[in-house]
Amino acid sequence: MTTLTQAPETPAARETPARRRRRVDRLPYLLLLPCLAIIGVLLLWPLGQVVAMSFFRLDNVRQLRGDRDWPWVGLGNYAEILGDPFFRTVLRNTVLFAAANVALTMILGTLVGLLLNRLGKRMATFVASCVMLAWATPALTGTIVWKWLFDDTSGLVTWLFNALPDGLSNALFGRADWTGYGWFNSPLMFFSILTLVVVWHSFPFIAVSVLAGLKSVPSELHEAARVDGAGPWKVFWKITFPLLRPVFGILVVLSTIWDFKVFTQQFVLAGGTQDRPTFMLSIYSYAEAFSPPPKYGLGAAIAVILTLILLVVTGLYVRMVLKQEEDA
Amino acid sequence: MNRWKRLAPVTAVVASAAMVLAGCGGSGDDEAADNSKLTVWMMGEGSEAQTAFLDGVEAEFKKKHPDTDVVVQYIPWLEAPKKFQAALAGGEGPDVTELGNTETQGWAAQEALADVTAKFAAWPEGKDILPDLVRNAQLDGKQYGVPWYAGVRALYYRTDWFAEAGVKPPTNWDELVAAAKAVQAKKPGTYGIALPGNSELPFYSFLWGAGGEIAIQQGDTWKSGYTSPQAQQAVKFWTDLVTVHKVAPPAAAGWNEIDARTQFATGKAAMAFAGSWQAGAIKKDNPEIEKVWGTFPIPGPDGKPAPAFAGGSDVALWQDSKKQDLAWDYLTVLLSKQKDKEFASSLGFFPVYSDLVGGGEYANDKIMAAFATSLQNTRLTPLTPKWVEVSRTKTVTQAMNSSVIKGQKTVEQATADAAAEMESILNAK
Repeated sequence: MTTLTQAPETPAARETPARRRRRVDRLPYLLLLPCLAIIGVLLLWPLGQVVAMSFFRLDNVRQLRGDRDWPWVGLGNYAEILGDPFFRTVLRNTVLFAAANVALTMILGTLVGLLLNRLGKRMATFVASCVMLAWATPALTGTIVWKWLFDDTSGLVTWLFNALPDGLSNALFGRADWTGYGWFNSPLMFFSILTLVVVWHSFPFIAVSVLAGLKSVPSELHEAARVDGAGPWKVFWKITFPLLRPVFGILVVLSTIWDFKVFTQQFVLAGGTQDRPTFMLSIYSYAEAFSPPPKYGLGAAIAVILTLILLVVTGLYVRMVLKQEEDA
Repeated sequence: MNRWKRLAPVTAVVASAAMVLAGCGGSGDDEAADNSKLTVWMMGEGSEAQTAFLDGVEAEFKKKHPDTDVVVQYIPWLEAPKKFQAALAGGEGPDVTELGNTETQGWAAQEALADVTAKFAAWPEGKDILPDLVRNAQLDGKQYGVPWYAGVRALYYRTDWFAEAGVKPPTNWDELVAAAKAVQAKKPGTYGIALPGNSELPFYSFLWGAGGEIAIQQGDTWKSGYTSPQAQQAVKFWTDLVTVHKVAPPAAAGWNEIDARTQFATGKAAMAFAGSWQAGAIKKDNPEIEKVWGTFPIPGPDGKPAPAFAGGSDVALWQDSKKQDLAWDYLTVLLSKQKDKEFASSLGFFPVYSDLVGGGEYANDKIMAAFATSLQNTRLTPLTPKWVEVSRTKTVTQAMNSSVIKGQKTVEQATADAAAEMESILNAK
């Protein structure tokens, strides 16, 4: 952080000929070039391709190769998707899932961050390492393990529910034998488990980021508030939260982006693209584009819709945060 | 799309430059190199037996083409669609490829496979191949693949548990339910039948057994058969196994054939639907099971074995291959009657030649006999390239059965919804 803030000062502070200063000014851009080139090739170019593809009817692999014409359909792909009642199900799933996951991830992550800040050094290291392990687990492996936990015959969760006293289990759930229970059968259960997996994967990042933010808050402020008789709840909302507002802003935007495009966890838990009632936008796009027969144009259009939704949501949120800062 | 097209040559130049660079370290014989290599894609992981067999095929092929090396690459079944798409988009594919016979029409419609109608007609041995399998590899009357081996599904069962419960292999639907209940009562903690609720092919035997149809073509339009009383009877029977008779668990709504087969292999179910080729995988899970298993054909409602889906593999020539004749020569060696019989028996499949599967060849084999019986009465899924979307992408049949098992829809609702969805896909322009 320090180098960044000092950088612009250095050339101005030194007495240099105008010519040399100009060359120095150009240097940062030259240094950025390789990065821009890589981003351009790996990110902007494919992005442009996807947008372009969404305006054509592409249902043959040979079209991608340039062997066949690309028939222009304009907004036809978009009309087809938006007119399909199934799209409403998918959109509802996506929005509800993302909202629930962002909220839960933020709450859990913040609580763990606050806890880490209060713990002693050794305990904090221990808890942080445990939490980081969840974050470090690759999404694919982590999800496979979760799926095993919910296996209908030999999963740990099935075993735990079987271990409940029969009377209690019957009173609570209306069944005592959980072997063979379809954990993923109803969309609600499926999304609950998916939420568990996704929150488990993403809260450590929030926790660590919040902790980093907390470390920068002078402890005198908290002490002063406590001396004045504020409880933890009040301290958080009156001191911590306003000070960390930019951190929370960025974390919410990042979480929103991640939770809107969850794919790996869903693909693994649902066992592929078969469970259509639980589709969300990203898996919907994948299934339309790549399941035989391929419909690359439709898949691309869904991807563009997902991107637009994300832009709107994050744009609104960023504006809200900025406005609050001005008001404050 | 001119801009994109103009870029195609650029990509080609870059790609060829890369290939030239990569080729620099190679042998360097360019023009003559054309026929020096034949690339063959095979599905699966490539067992030792299969590799040894293909070495034999190559030796035979080399008698005619001594200068051609056959390079065999194995592709896992589930990877195949992605691999095919990439090969087709990039322009670098195999010369000969195996593919599942439910996928041939779809890939033919994607212009991945070469039209071999003329070659097939001029090949004498081809006339003895089972006609259902040959038709399954056609699109718009043209032949795009040649059947290689065939397989049907039947029911595996535990002979020891059946003996304990005092039941015999069932021959009709009522007996099937009775046997499942009897064994489940005798063996607490197991399921009477491992129902693959998320698979379609075993279910079709019940549909066809009841006299139902998947879809029928009337002129230019397809009409789904799911709203017929026969089809509804089949759906009701299939889903009742979970919801009414409780001889399979609710989780079965999400099971595919492998999940269900594993329940049987690990001693958690008394019966399971599986193909003859899966015997090896079941034994791998549980080597002991060989002593206590048997098979019987999937029963129809009335005492006759139900029709079975004619599954298996085709071999096709890749349309982009520049060595069509060479590739066809390889195909005819691979698919010759003698090699076909050799290969099929080593894998637990059946050869595709009618004169090889008839007769009493398999009558005394405790596993294969039931499959040989089922193979006498096979049916196909609708012959249209759009079928793959119904079957694989929208999984219409699987979703219909699952929704009834999960209690989300009644049989009437589920069949009506499935029929409407199927017709909208099959009749789409």
